[in-house]
Amino acid sequence: MVIARRSLLWLVSLLALIGVYTLGARLLSRPDILPPTGEIAEAAGALLGRGVQLGAAGEEHAHHQHHPASPQMETLLQEGVTLQGALAVTTGRVLFGLAVGLPLGILLGLLMGASRRTDDYLHPLYILARSVPPLAFITYIMLWLGHSEAHRLIPIVYAVAVTMVIPTYHGARDVAAKYVEAARTLGARGRLLLFKVLLPAAGPAMLGGLRYSVAIAWMTAVGAEMLMAENGMGNLLVGGGLWSSRLQTRSDPAVIFVGILALAAAGWAMDAVVKVVGARLTHWARG
Amino acid sequence: MSWVRARRAAIGLLGFAALYLLASEIGQSRLPDRIWMGAHYVENVKLLPTWRALVEEGTFLIQSNILVDSIAVSTRRVVLGLLLGSVVGILLGLLTGAASRLEALADPWVTFFRFTPALALLPLYVIWFGYGESSKVLLIATNVAVVTFLGAHQGVRGVRRVYLDAAAALGADRWLTFRKVILPAAFPSILASFRVATGLAWVTIVVAELINAQMPSLGYLLALAGAYPRVPNMMIGLATIGALVLVFDLLALLLNAWATRWMERAA
Repeated sequence: MVIARRSLLWLVSLLALIGVYTLGARLLSRPDILPPTGEIAEAAGALLGRGVQLGAAGEEHAHHQHHPASPQMETLLQEGVTLQGALAVTTGRVLFGLAVGLPLGILLGLLMGASRRTDDYLHPLYILARSVPPLAFITYIMLWLGHSEAHRLIPIVYAVAVTMVIPTYHGARDVAAKYVEAARTLGARGRLLLFKVLLPAAGPAMLGGLRYSVAIAWMTAVGAEMLMAENGMGNLLVGGGLWSSRLQTRSDPAVIFVGILALAAAGWAMDAVVKVVGARLTHWARG
Repeated sequence: MSWVRARRAAIGLLGFAALYLLASEIGQSRLPDRIWMGAHYVENVKLLPTWRALVEEGTFLIQSNILVDSIAVSTRRVVLGLLLGSVVGILLGLLTGAASRLEALADPWVTFFRFTPALALLPLYVIWFGYGESSKVLLIATNVAVVTFLGAHQGVRGVRRVYLDAAAALGADRWLTFRKVILPAAFPSILASFRVATGLAWVTIVVAELINAQMPSLGYLLALAGAYPRVPNMMIGLATIGALVLVFDLLALLLNAWATRWMERAA
């Protein structure tokens, strides 16, 4: 009953959000600032691969002549960019970043959390490394590895790893210390200690870090694509390469709205998966 | 911090510096200095500049006032964004956290903003607020607001029921409860999120300052260094941003310690 009421409220609020926006856009009547809801839906349709065919637009969709496809939309359609395609590319990069970055971050966090000595030596270096924004060294990676996929993937890996260190570290150091001591007294060592004591004890803290890492991975991926990439959501939004300053061309707000909505939906979906999986993995923690 | 820990920290840092020294001296003759940039070759690129080259570049950047001016401009943007974003974020978070009826209503809006990578708003902000100062500051502010909002919201939500019941039983009205129970209890969560937000603000500026990029600014300094490419300049830029992130993080930590000094702490 409570859940039903909550989801009803949720739905009402969502509809209200759309309603308020539609009304606001109509009142302002500046499609270059707040594009009407219909135009956003149209842009979404076009980017999903149906709707506006550039050549046929004239005869089949007569009403399009009021607002012909914007330069940004035209470029995107000419390049064969679709929303699902761009989203798939970005999702792939995010998943790669998580797949490589999470183990790295967890390993470093465990190393620093498990041994006081290692922590003393490594922590200052970690703090230095953490302070450098991952998007800032894209060009440096390019100098080493050329214009390739590497300079989009490495910043994501780096951002994820650096984010994941702290929760693992605190989980292992603060939460697990007393369990580790107890387990050691009972003779547990090595792999047993790691998988049966250290990781489970740090689990809940790591789950929080994981959810945050996912958000960071998405942001870094979009940022890297906005700066230097020929595909993906960041490219769809800015039309390719902030550093090549193509931002000078006026962008189409409808396209940007569609992109942002798609990113929000994708981020939400991935977070929901992490939440469900994480709750399973740490269900014992809530007893 | 004990003596042993300080010594180990110094050894760690010096060890890294020495490793870099070794790598850059060896690399100087072995690494390629002609680099294919996609369209043309660039000559005389030092992939690992020596410490000497870094110091020379650093002195030049400081003496020519480029670095100092860039730091001033970028820091001003970050501070403005942080102030604006955290005030809005924390107020909204406290409001939605305290009024449970609002929560279900606000949820879709919150979800939307929470999962939108704030950098994705950049082209939209350019359309809305132009190429000037306001887009940059507002982009940072948005990023900060989202994070601090979640921190404040979860902080208020996490207040123990017992405290609220106790306050109610003792006859505290809503405002007093909010001021003396909810706010102090939510403070650690809010400040933790603020600390995260300071880091994000500096991540954002690297990209935000490419909107109508102009000197002086750290974001454009990096972009220019990358375009030439001039590696020592790039590294000084990275180190400067890193140092500023460290300073801001330290300030946030101090604020945290000062604001929660009433709490009992284990060691």
